[in-house]
Amino acid sequence: MTSTNTNSQPVLEDISVIVAGQGGDGSLTVITMLADLFRNAGLNVYTERDVASRIRGGHAAATMRAFIGEKHCIGSHIDLLVALDEEAVEKKVHQISSNSIVVFDDSSGPLRSGLLPEGTKLYAAPFNRIAMRTMRRELYKNSIAFGIVGRLLGLEDEAMRQTFTKRFERRGQIILDYNIEALELGLHLADEMGIKRGEGKYRIEQTEPEEQILVMGNESIAFGFMAAGGRFFTGYPITPSTEVLETLQKWLPRCGGVARQTEDELAGINMAIGAALTGVRTMTATSGPGISLMQEGVGHAGSGEVPLVIVDCQRSGPSTGMPTKPEQSDLNIMVFGGHGDFPRIVLTPGHPDDCFYLAVDATNLADKYQCPVFIAMDQALSQNIASVKPFNLDEVKVVPGKRLTAEEVAELDTYKRYSFSEDGISAFAAPGTPGGMSLVTGNEHDEFGLVSTDPKNRVKMMDKRFHKIEEAKKELPKGRHFGEPDAPIGFIGIGMMYGVILDARIELEKRGYNTQYLQPRTLWPMLDETLEFIDRCERVYVIDLNAQGQIAHLLMHQGADSSKIISIRRYDGLPYRPGYLVNQIVEREEELNNNDKKEAKAQ
Amino acid sequence: MTTPPSTKTFTPARPIWCAGCGDFAVQGVLEKSLRNMGILPHKLMLLAGIGCSGTIQNNLKCYGYHALHGRVLPATIGAKLANPDLTVIAAGGDGDGFAIGAGHLVHTFKSNPSIMYILMNNSNYGLTKGQASPTSPIGYHGNAELGLDSMLLGLSFLSSTFLARGFSGNPEQLGRLMEAAIEHTESGKGFAFLEVLSPCVTYYDTHREWRAKVYNVDEDESFDPTSRAAAFQKVIELKEQGHIPIGRIFKGEHPSLESIIVNKEETLPAQQNIGHFNEHRKHYDQFIKAHLV
Repeated sequence: MTSTNTNSQPVLEDISVIVAGQGGDGSLTVITMLADLFRNAGLNVYTERDVASRIRGGHAAATMRAFIGEKHCIGSHIDLLVALDEEAVEKKVHQISSNSIVVFDDSSGPLRSGLLPEGTKLYAAPFNRIAMRTMRRELYKNSIAFGIVGRLLGLEDEAMRQTFTKRFERRGQIILDYNIEALELGLHLADEMGIKRGEGKYRIEQTEPEEQILVMGNESIAFGFMAAGGRFFTGYPITPSTEVLETLQKWLPRCGGVARQTEDELAGINMAIGAALTGVRTMTATSGPGISLMQEGVGHAGSGEVPLVIVDCQRSGPSTGMPTKPEQSDLNIMVFGGHGDFPRIVLTPGHPDDCFYLAVDATNLADKYQCPVFIAMDQALSQNIASVKPFNLDEVKVVPGKRLTAEEVAELDTYKRYSFSEDGISAFAAPGTPGGMSLVTGNEHDEFGLVSTDPKNRVKMMDKRFHKIEEAKKELPKGRHFGEPDAPIGFIGIGMMYGVILDARIELEKRGYNTQYLQPRTLWPMLDETLEFIDRCERVYVIDLNAQGQIAHLLMHQGADSSKIISIRRYDGLPYRPGYLVNQIVEREEELNNNDKKEAKAQ
Repeated sequence: MTTPPSTKTFTPARPIWCAGCGDFAVQGVLEKSLRNMGILPHKLMLLAGIGCSGTIQNNLKCYGYHALHGRVLPATIGAKLANPDLTVIAAGGDGDGFAIGAGHLVHTFKSNPSIMYILMNNSNYGLTKGQASPTSPIGYHGNAELGLDSMLLGLSFLSSTFLARGFSGNPEQLGRLMEAAIEHTESGKGFAFLEVLSPCVTYYDTHREWRAKVYNVDEDESFDPTSRAAAFQKVIELKEQGHIPIGRIFKGEHPSLESIIVNKEETLPAQQNIGHFNEHRKHYDQFIKAHLV
C-alpha cells in the first residue's frame, strides 16, 4: 500500500486490543492469533492475560499491544475492545475513550445505553447466537468475531485464513473446518456492516519481520538457567511460577538434567539443596506462599554455603492473596527473610529478555559465592508474553564455581570444606571425589564442617560468609539507566514497572518533565550506583507494587536521602498502565509546584 | 585413583550418645556393613536429620550432611537423582521421620528412589528430654494416642520395595538386614526402609520390654516376605498379640525413581562439565527455534 490510498486510514504503529469475556470463552486464542498476524506483518507484540484463579468461568481477558519499534508493556489507551458479554464492557470501560472501537456480542440483548463513552464506535452482532445456529457450538463465536476484528485492524483476509490454519490444523480437520467456516461467516458479517476489505480503521504497512522469539518471563528464566548449565530443578506448582517448572520438565531432560515436581515446597527446596551438594547447578521456583514455606531452607543454604537459585514469581499477598494478580510485596522476605543472619543476593529483571540474561548471572553467582540467589519476578513479568530478539547464546558465559578435583585434593596437606580464604569462598570437592570427604551443616561449624560453638570461630565464620557478598558487589549485575544524568526527576522501579516507566517517560517528556530512570538489576546487596542515582536527582519517584513501600524503605535503610524519595505505592492487583503513572506524577509535580509558589508568597 | 590420597580431612567425631544408647550398635553395624559391601568412603553420602540419631554423619568418614529437621529424605533424594552413581543413605529418628518429616516418608514410599533410610526409633524425643513421639505408646508422658507402625505404613504403598525392622539388641540380624538394604539400593531396586528399634537409656529405657516383645519373622519359615498381603496380615496379627515384628517384612519390585527420570543417554547431572557450553548447544538452539515467530 502506498500513500495514494484514498481511505486516509492511519498507519498502524501502536495499538492495544483487549478481548474480554468469561473464562473459557477463548479470549487468549483470539489474542494469540492476532499477535501472530501482526508479527507476520513485521510488528512487535506484547500480550497480557487477566484471569481469575479458576479453571473455567469468571471474568477473563487477554490484551495485546502491537507496535513498531520498542515497547515493553501494554499501552494506556485501548484502541479496540472485543467484548463477548456486557460484563466485559463494564470491567474494561475505564480503559477506553471515545476514540476506541468496541466489538460487542449482543446475543443476550443490546448493550446498555450510556455504558460507553459518548462517540465510541460500536459494532454489535450476535456472535454466540450465530455460532449456535450454524455450528451448534458457542465456542466458535470468537472465530466469527475474529473476521470483524481482523477487517477493522486492516488485516488481510488471506493472512487470517493462514493463521487459522496454522493454529487449528493440529487439532484435526473437523475443528479446522468449523473455525474457517466461522471466520468466513465473520468476514461476511463485516461486509454487511460496511467493513469491506481494505476499508478498516487502520492500514498495516507490511515490513519484513525482524527475527524475534515470543516468550514469557518464566520461560526465559528456565532457559537462562539451562543455558548456564543448570541441570537440576525441583518445585511445586503455584501460580504464577508454574511455567518455570513446566518449561524445565520439557527441556532439561534433553540435556541430561532432572526437573521434578515435588510433594510440597519444603521438599522442593530441600531436594534442590541435596542435589546442590553433589555439585550440580540447581534451582527452585515458587510464589509468595511457597517462599514463606521455603524460608528455613533459604537460611540453611546460607549457613551451609550451598549454591542455590530461587525464583520468586510474586503475586498479591499476604497469605493466599490474589493468586493471579501482580505485586512486588515479597521483597522484604527475599532481602531479610529467614531466621538468623546470612548472605544472599536478590536480582530484579525487567523484561522477558532481561530474565534470560539475569538467570544466567544468578546461576553463575550462586555457584561462585555458594549462597542463595533470588530472582525477583512478578506475575506480569512472569506470564506476559513479549516478542524479543533471540537470546544471544554466544554471549552466555558459564563460569564454574571453585571446585576441587581428586588431583587437587591430593596435592593439599589438609582439605577443609569451609576453609577461611581471602574472598570468603571455600573451594569444595563434590561427593564422589576421592579424598574430599567433608561435612556440610546448617549448624555453626568449624572449617572442617564439625559443629562448633567456639565464640572466636563463630565470629570468624559469620564474617567469612558475609565477606563473600562484599566480594560479589564488585561484579553483581548493574542496573539499566535511561535519560540524561542531570534530569531532576528520577524513577526507580523493577520488574513489570520497567516497560511502564519507559513508556511514561516519553509522555512526561512531551508534557515538559525531564526524567531519568534506573532499573536496579541487583536489589540486594544494594549497589552504590543505586544510591548515587538518588544523589544525582532532585527527587526520585520510587514505584512500589506493595502497600508498605518496600523498595523505598530498603533504599532509605541503605542510606538514601529520604527527603528525596517520593514513595508511590499500588496494591490493587491491577496491572500498571503508563498513563496511570503519568497522571500520578503530573499530579504530584503540580502539587509540589503549587507548594513552592505558596512558600514563595509567604516569604 | 588407586591409592587413597594422604590429604588430611575432618577427624570423625566421637558419638554424643549416652552410654548404652542403641544408636551405638546401629553405627557399628552400619560401618561393618559398608565395609562388607565394599562401599568406598568417597562414594558414600550419609545425610542425617535432627535429633540424637541425626549426628551419626559426624562419626563416619564419608561425605556427611546434616539436614533440616524432617527434611532428610528430600535432600537425600535430590543427591541421588543428581548423582545416581553415589551410595546415598539417610539416617534419622522417629520424630524426624514420623512427625515433622512424615509427609516426605509417604512420598518416598511412593516414588521409590534407590536410597537407604535408617530410622532409629526410640519412641521418644531424647534430644529435647523425653517428650512423646509418634511411636510412643499410650500412657507414656501423658500420651493418649496409639503409636504408628511404619511397616504397615510402608506396606500400604504398592510402590514400596524393601521394608525391614531391626533391633539394636540383635546386631547380627541388623547386619544382615543392613547388607540386604545396601544390596537393594546398590542394584537400583529402589527405596530400602530400615527401622531400627534403638532404645533410649536416659529418658525411656525400653530395652528389656522390647527384647521381650520382638518377634523375628526371619525365623518364621511360614512367613513369605514377597507377599504384601501376607506381610500385612502377619504384622497386624503380631501387633494385636502384643508383639513387635522384626526382620525382613517385605521385599517387592517396582521401577526406581532414578531409573524413570534420569536420562540414561546423557551424562548424569552432577557429572556434567559446568562451563562446557557447546555440549548441549544444539538443544539451546532448538529452544530458540521453537519460540521463533
